[in-house]
Amino acid sequence: MKALLKKDIFVLLRQMRIFLLMIAIFAVIPQGNMTVFAIVYCGMLPYTAMAYDERSKWDDLAAMMPYTASDVVMSKYVLGWLTVGCATVLSALSNFLLGLFVTTDFSLAPLLPYMCIGFLMLAITMPLMFRFGVEKGRMFFSLLMVVVAVGGAGLVAGLMDSGKSGAIPKTVLAFIQLGIPLLSAALTAASIPLSMAMYKKRKYA
Amino acid sequence: MDAIEIKNVGKRLGDFAIQDLSLALPQGSICGLVGENGAGKTTAIRLIMDALRPDSGEIRVLGVDNRSPEFQRVKEDVGIVLDESHFPETLNARQVGLIMADTYQRWDAAAYDGFLKRFGLPLKKAFKDYSRGMTMKLAIAVALSHSPKLLILDEATSGLDPIVRDEILEIFSEFTRDETHSILISSHIVSDLEKLCDYIAFLHRGRLRFCMEKDALRDEYGIVACSKSRLSELPEGAVLGAEESPYGARALVKRSLVPASLPVERPSLEDIILFLVKGEKRA
Repeated sequence: MKALLKKDIFVLLRQMRIFLLMIAIFAVIPQGNMTVFAIVYCGMLPYTAMAYDERSKWDDLAAMMPYTASDVVMSKYVLGWLTVGCATVLSALSNFLLGLFVTTDFSLAPLLPYMCIGFLMLAITMPLMFRFGVEKGRMFFSLLMVVVAVGGAGLVAGLMDSGKSGAIPKTVLAFIQLGIPLLSAALTAASIPLSMAMYKKRKYA
Repeated sequence: MDAIEIKNVGKRLGDFAIQDLSLALPQGSICGLVGENGAGKTTAIRLIMDALRPDSGEIRVLGVDNRSPEFQRVKEDVGIVLDESHFPETLNARQVGLIMADTYQRWDAAAYDGFLKRFGLPLKKAFKDYSRGMTMKLAIAVALSHSPKLLILDEATSGLDPIVRDEILEIFSEFTRDETHSILISSHIVSDLEKLCDYIAFLHRGRLRFCMEKDALRDEYGIVACSKSRLSELPEGAVLGAEESPYGARALVKRSLVPASLPVERPSLEDIILFLVKGEKRA
């Protein structure tokens, strides 16, 4: 798996320098939406790596090398976790440092749920990518983004209606702080074996 | 022991099917898998390396069933060269070396560097700027740098100029100087296989037409040039394929079925394959 991870990182670093710089800029802007944007974009990087694999027909060669199905699948998850984690850490560090010099309303507290949203999106979309390939898989990813955006907007509207005092209800806060990480962990645990099955199905199709 | 043993393998892929493929590559030898584009050579290689599952039959590589968990270990002993490099085009030779060091337990970085030097491959140039010859040489450098016992080469010489092809064939010959080393090489460039191989397997439309020692093949078949009427007098089964012109006929025959009075030329491998294909089209 280390070899595959290394390959993806080499490919992304070389090809995605400008893209990574943009992500870094978004991550350090002390504004929650930008952090979410950076994290979600980082969650897409494994798919960019997969697109390069498909373009070079790497999978044909990899299938004959001593990589197991688990190596192939897990390397993409780990890449996603690493990139999402990096964006989160970068955002936390930059905002901490910025907070030493200027007053901002940025809080570190939402970073864990933000990061888990990144993991959640990986968990939902990764099996689709392994089953249908990046081209079709990205359509599902876009669809998911629309659902999340519409759902998020609905949630915000709901909160504004219910929270007449301007405070977010405790149950909603608890869901954000605890429920999203738990949901993300549960879906990831289900997603990995599903991706493995999808990968094998596609490989031997 | 056979380096590769394929028994009654079948695989359907849409309109195309590999049918009842049986083949053995004795250890220490080179087998050329020949056939036109779409004959099933790449499919056969994918089946051998468990990149594709057969519908029926059994395949053993270096004595191990390729569907068993132990086959993962056997993959360490197999060097693969496909018709393209298949490495992402933004990588360079140095990065490929680093990736392969974590891929193969017996990766020999010094040997890899030696091949890169020998082939004149730059360390930091991305593949997208490589010529086809350079790309194939890099794939060969990778395949040879983890002490493989078996090389599987799929169209490794196609699209290369004759000088590079010759150089690459020389490397493969060097590899088989160790008698435990074997090669399965697929190509539609028959002259390359004729130069290199001990055995020739001819795959046509998903079926294996023959798998024989190269010299035995030439001993078994012959080419006759005679009149059309003389050709028609030959016993049934003697003529395997023929081409006729206003001046006469030229045919591939089974030597054992042809009268001694008829002069028979020694055929090239290309003659045998072309006539067999023509014979089948007529049938």
